[in-house]
Amino acid sequence: MTTEIGQSSVRSDAVTKTTGSAMFGTDIALPGMLHGRLLRSPVPAGRIVKLDLSQVVAAPGVHGVSTAADVPDRRSGLVLLDAPLFASDFVRYEGEPIAAVVAETRELANQALEFAVLEIEEIPSVTDIEAALAPDAPLVHPDWESFDTSPGMTWPRSGNVVAESFADPEGVEEAFEKAAYVVEDRFETGRQYQAYMEPRMAIAEFDGQRFTIHVAHQFPYNVRDRVAGALDLSPSQIRVIGHHIGGGFGAKLDTGLEPYAALLARQVGRPVRLANDRPEDLLTCQCRENAVIRIRTAVSEDGALLARDVEVLMDSGAHATDIPFLTSIPMHVFGSLYRIGPVRIKTRAIYTNTAPTGAFRGVNGTHLYFALERHMDHIANELGLDRLKYRRSSLQSDGAQLPTGQVLDDAGILSEAFDAIERKAPWAELGIGPNRGVGVAACMWLTNPMPGSVTLKLNSDGTLGVLTAATENGSGAIATGVRQIAAEEFGLSAEQVIVTMPDTDAAAFDAGSQGSRTTHIVGRAVHEAAVQVRARIFETAASLLEAAVEDLELADGAVVVVGTPTTRIPLADIAAAAQAAGGPISGSGSYTTPMPSVNPTCASGLLFPAFPTPTYHVHVAEVEVDPVTGGIRVLRYLVAQEVGRAINPQAIRGQIQGGVAQGLGYALWENLWIDEGRYMQRTFEAYGLPLATDIPEIEIVLLEHPDPAGPYGAKGVAEPPIIPVAAAIGNAVADAIGISINAVPITPERVLEALVDLR
Amino acid sequence: MRIELTVNERKVMLDVPPSETLLTSLRERLHLTGAKEACVEGECGACTVLLNGRPVDSCIYPTAASSETQITTVEGLRGTDGKLSPLQQAFVDHFAVQCGFCTPGLLMTLSALLANNPDPNRAEIQQAIVGNLCRCTGYVQVVEAVEAVVREAQR
Repeated sequence: MTTEIGQSSVRSDAVTKTTGSAMFGTDIALPGMLHGRLLRSPVPAGRIVKLDLSQVVAAPGVHGVSTAADVPDRRSGLVLLDAPLFASDFVRYEGEPIAAVVAETRELANQALEFAVLEIEEIPSVTDIEAALAPDAPLVHPDWESFDTSPGMTWPRSGNVVAESFADPEGVEEAFEKAAYVVEDRFETGRQYQAYMEPRMAIAEFDGQRFTIHVAHQFPYNVRDRVAGALDLSPSQIRVIGHHIGGGFGAKLDTGLEPYAALLARQVGRPVRLANDRPEDLLTCQCRENAVIRIRTAVSEDGALLARDVEVLMDSGAHATDIPFLTSIPMHVFGSLYRIGPVRIKTRAIYTNTAPTGAFRGVNGTHLYFALERHMDHIANELGLDRLKYRRSSLQSDGAQLPTGQVLDDAGILSEAFDAIERKAPWAELGIGPNRGVGVAACMWLTNPMPGSVTLKLNSDGTLGVLTAATENGSGAIATGVRQIAAEEFGLSAEQVIVTMPDTDAAAFDAGSQGSRTTHIVGRAVHEAAVQVRARIFETAASLLEAAVEDLELADGAVVVVGTPTTRIPLADIAAAAQAAGGPISGSGSYTTPMPSVNPTCASGLLFPAFPTPTYHVHVAEVEVDPVTGGIRVLRYLVAQEVGRAINPQAIRGQIQGGVAQGLGYALWENLWIDEGRYMQRTFEAYGLPLATDIPEIEIVLLEHPDPAGPYGAKGVAEPPIIPVAAAIGNAVADAIGISINAVPITPERVLEALVDLR
Repeated sequence: MRIELTVNERKVMLDVPPSETLLTSLRERLHLTGAKEACVEGECGACTVLLNGRPVDSCIYPTAASSETQITTVEGLRGTDGKLSPLQQAFVDHFAVQCGFCTPGLLMTLSALLANNPDPNRAEIQQAIVGNLCRCTGYVQVVEAVEAVVREAQR
């Protein structure tokens, strides 16, 4: 019997994606489809003095317009209901929708918007997170107190502070008083654009009763719920159909254009498509939030970390999106890698008059670990110790406890990951030579626990159908992982498994491709469903073969009698027999990871209380800095990553190579620079994505510690490779030039500035 | 304006406004949606097609200027027997595809590279695709797919 687990089986979508026949969201066209465009705020903050669309309505090809006057007077959101569909009185960020037009073509819609009369009186804006905390700072939302939250969710918030989480355990001050050293740092990190290749889009239809929305979205069920929230509908009035996704990286988890498409489709009675152009997409994307992090650590004479005091400020932009959840993450990071005493952590997400930020692969882990691991280098240097040896002597081991109280049963894997890197590239041999440096950074990260489900059916030709609302965002989690797991459960090859595209009318809830969850959660749901389906298969086969169920096994697309492999019956025959007898063979399964137990009183505002199914990672970077240009070249980059069990090693390699590439972009080049609330870049070229010539081949070691709860032991894989990159690069750059740069991206300008300061 | 050109070895006649881009003509008039619209600035290469064998960003190339030319899109890469081209097959086998949105553009640029230089080294392959942005792969498995085609051809 061939085993699919551990095989680099080719992706189910690879052929159609190389022939051009794979249909992405932006490739979908429906009969009679019209095109919508949004009139967006040209300024970061202002009062709408006049909005006159009469000339827009009269423009050629226009079928309708919509404004705040046409929609329910309500705000909506993922967790805090603070976002109106259209600005009506005030605009709060550049790009905020004010009105929508629908016309025969995109060009006619664009031309019509030229006739809009929009007068905005600019008002003082808040565009800096530290300035936003000043007592006299203008409020982004003066009416913040009136906002509702999702049912059962409460957390501290006030004024421009959209969410706060605070942990103040006993003993912090005492530890600082007796410390031999107090090491202190301030870090500043940038706003990173997900820069998926397919701009966000949506097509909606309304048949007089129900909506159908076509998307290329990571989380179709969230589209359904968020559109319902925005338009005051019941979720089941909306059917969401998913198509191939041209990349998402977190930016296609929350809703975007879908509510506007639905609104316009209902208004004009024809399908309506909205698709961002690139500048608009960049301007309004829920990017990774910029942040400021301050850390102070009390250290004993012999290097013990006695206590820590951390303050994190995150820029939420003009709305909350999912940022309130992310204020919990520092609680899972700042006590995670190294043994430490009590840790005080105050995390605040701040409203500003900039585009709302949100989820990007690795969420705030990228900047939290940048701060933690740069700070760890600082401590080692302060003590005069080797940075690697100091880390290794301070590592957490099995049974370590996070500040939340969560116990990490297997934190000892960290040590193994350091060993694995050392074997491949000895630390003492790296970063040798002028202007060269080496950096190391580790991380611990979760596998998102949110629920998923599948229904399996045995087809009449002996293939297996998998019905799920889970999405293939490009990672391969469906196209390889789930498909291979399903094949393995039935002794099939991956080619004999067909996984549906998502459809919320057909498949039960799935929490979308986020937090490396799909292979782990949906794979486990497959396993649960397979138990029932196999039982029907064996029961049917037993009567056909006149054998006992316990003597049967599945192999190569057939049921065989153990020990007499010639006595077999193909799955196709079983499917036909079962269908005629008891009905077609199918079964369903669901899974969600039980949350690890934590101390609920360890912090206020702990909306995301634990890090289930943790994995462990060590990255090492070797760089060379050009002292004339300030440019940084990555000479070698190594990753040791714990994956539970590698279902498809080549697909995993692709996730690590691609994740590190995004991390290098974050570390070195990518940032939406903000000037008075406006992004200074509007195009890919100005933004500066990594090119083929910028990225080295990543040297990878996979570590396998199968998770008993995971399908064949698999844990989450795809998200962590981006997380420690900025930290490893930052440490390597500091080693190369002998001076700390505690900001990302580490641009040539910042390097030259540091070198000038040094002289 | 009336334009005659050859697309994937098939003669076509188009009547287009002078400002229409080749990408729009291919996608909306000829229903060849393999070439993708991602930036419309000529920056990302997702819309790359071959014009007389040379890669062009079809999103900024006027259809009016493509009269009497031979256009090849990703849909035209398969052999007449329907089999994937060696480069397409290598993309499948070597995990050069993730989300796949940049894939058609990469395939066109790299097909042109291999037609002009059947034995490119790694640096030449990387240099060839600096105009093709890929956000998923970090490029290495794309480069490896090309190297596999070169190795196979030399066998």
